Amino acid sequence: MIQIIIKETKEFLREISNVFFYLIFPVVLVFLLGNLLSKLDAPEEAIGEVKIHYMIETEAIADIMSIEGFIQGVSDEQNIIFEKSEDINTSKALVGEDKITSVIIFTNSPLEIQIFEGTNRIKNRTINAMMNGFSQINKAVNVIVESNPKALMNLGDKEADFIKQKDLGINRTMLDYYAITMMSMISFMSIMLGAMCFMGERQYKTIDRLKIAPISQVKLFLSKILGLLPQVIIQISILMILSVFVFGANYASNFLDNLYLFFMFFVLTFTIIIIGAVYGLFVYAHPMATLMPVIWIMMFISGTYSKALFIDGVTQVMPAYKVQEAAFDLAIFGRYDKANLVIVVCIIISLTMLVIGAMSFRRRVDE
Amino acid sequence: MFYVSINNLVKKYGELTAVDHISFNVEKGEIFGLLGPNGAGKSTTLNVITTLSDFDKGEVIINGMDIRKDKKSIKQLIGMVPQDIAIYDHLNALENVKFFASLYGLRGKKLTQNVMEALEFVGLSDKIKLKPRRMSGGMRRRLNIACGIAHNPQLIVLDEPTVGVDTQSREHILNSIKLLRDRGATVIYTSHYMQEVEEICDRIAIIDKGQMIACGTESELVSMVTDVLSVYVETRIPVEFNRETFCKKVKLMPGVKGIIIEDSLIRVDISVEQNSIERIVQEFISHELPINNIKSEVPNLDTLFLTLTGRELR
Repeated sequence: MIQIIIKETKEFLREISNVFFYLIFPVVLVFLLGNLLSKLDAPEEAIGEVKIHYMIETEAIADIMSIEGFIQGVSDEQNIIFEKSEDINTSKALVGEDKITSVIIFTNSPLEIQIFEGTNRIKNRTINAMMNGFSQINKAVNVIVESNPKALMNLGDKEADFIKQKDLGINRTMLDYYAITMMSMISFMSIMLGAMCFMGERQYKTIDRLKIAPISQVKLFLSKILGLLPQVIIQISILMILSVFVFGANYASNFLDNLYLFFMFFVLTFTIIIIGAVYGLFVYAHPMATLMPVIWIMMFISGTYSKALFIDGVTQVMPAYKVQEAAFDLAIFGRYDKANLVIVVCIIISLTMLVIGAMSFRRRVDE
Repeated sequence: MFYVSINNLVKKYGELTAVDHISFNVEKGEIFGLLGPNGAGKSTTLNVITTLSDFDKGEVIINGMDIRKDKKSIKQLIGMVPQDIAIYDHLNALENVKFFASLYGLRGKKLTQNVMEALEFVGLSDKIKLKPRRMSGGMRRRLNIACGIAHNPQLIVLDEPTVGVDTQSREHILNSIKLLRDRGATVIYTSHYMQEVEEICDRIAIIDKGQMIACGTESELVSMVTDVLSVYVETRIPVEFNRETFCKKVKLMPGVKGIIIEDSLIRVDISVEQNSIERIVQEFISHELPINNIKSEVPNLDTLFLTLTGRELR
């Protein structure tokens, strides 16, 4: 198996088109799109002013204190405005008219946060991230109140720092946007690597030599697939490292989140490769003519090349959009739920495709 | 006991019967030739022997093992040199041979030693770092062979290994195959080049349309058609000449076994007993075909094939 992995890696690195399309091209695109289009796609414009009406219905003193401390801390940010709601129904109507971003009600004990969202996705996401951060801190506040009420006096600044660090601390640029969408791009483009995995053997006429070797067909299939693992690691690593250290792009704010982001794209890329490999077993037409146009259109609609492109009802269901959304959630807001979903879905697809591929490869011995 | 024993082998692709009840045996240490035109069923037979294809009926025994029951053990014994050059362009000669040999479980020093021996055997030991795309056709063919023999297989299957190579490389390849036999390997060799088969094979099976039409040593096969004489007439064929009518007329003559027209050369195979050269010459004259040169030749495998099938071996 190790021989096949070494062979696959050598072939990948020695093919100039592979090196260009999977290693150089995405990095160049991060730089070009991130810099040249930054004026067209300014990230700050997307968020704009966030105006929130809120109402505190809870009667727990610790919660009220932490809510007020939190609001005061966040309101220091120039474009986030918290206003106390006089009448909750009027505020909700204002959300409906897009005059304010959302309404938040702090109620019950233990504290429950109800958010009535408006129509702006990015603003909603920003508010969700803020409130997630608050929820995490508030649990800490309750613990402190129970164990050492005096410590609560010093919490205000720390809470603000936490929110700032977690969500708003990094000055985001379009380089960051493309650093992530290009990761998505190379992941989906890897379908070519998968498809060519067996097509290449047919092209070189070496498939028969592999099939008559004294190794089982299933093992041979899996070895060929696993042989692509180093390539996946190489291409994701190179893009992340060059984007960060050469172009100054940011992914997540801490190492753990970055590692998880890497893992998510690794699992995704490997899944795409497996899908490509199984496709290559069944379809003889060159994937450059069949798969690539589909992938490029899908990425285009998903906002991979410009976040301005958003077709309501279409973009949201695109796999690339889902992946990018999960990556942004993880990188910018530190939220893992969508990334976890991507990973779970990918693992299920991978296992299914591996079983299908291995079985059909064994059956096609007589091809 | 035979090293390879094929009994009543049948292989169908849908309605097409590619191999139709073929039986033959190969002794250990012999070069066995499968001769036949393109599409005769040679490659299909080889695919079955090399475990690449399953078959519909019959029995294939290699070294006493049934190919259906002991596939993995049999695979370990076989080295295949396919008709198409099956090597990786991005790997150099050494890496190519090493990779394929490693699939047979060779590791470390043994692997390196076998790989170097195989490359030396095919005359590429000084080109180990050269990538196939920089090699000549002949060198690529030789590398193709090295990839199939580096694991020291007991049974080597070569499917038209000399297609498209220069004379020098062809000689090298044919000598190498004889050397493999001398080292104890059993070789099954297919070709549609009559001379090659005559030169290197100990025994030959002639296949046509999926069926075996003759099997034996060269002399045994030729003895089947010793009564046939090939007459070559060099002529100049006019544009309006009706080949079909001419061929039909000649074939109807007593003693004529077959006729082939190739450019200005017409070959007629006739029975020695019923020597009808005079009548053939008259037929040429009646069709206003000038006779520039005429010669006769003793029978060979080509004559045999023509006699048995009525077609030339192409």
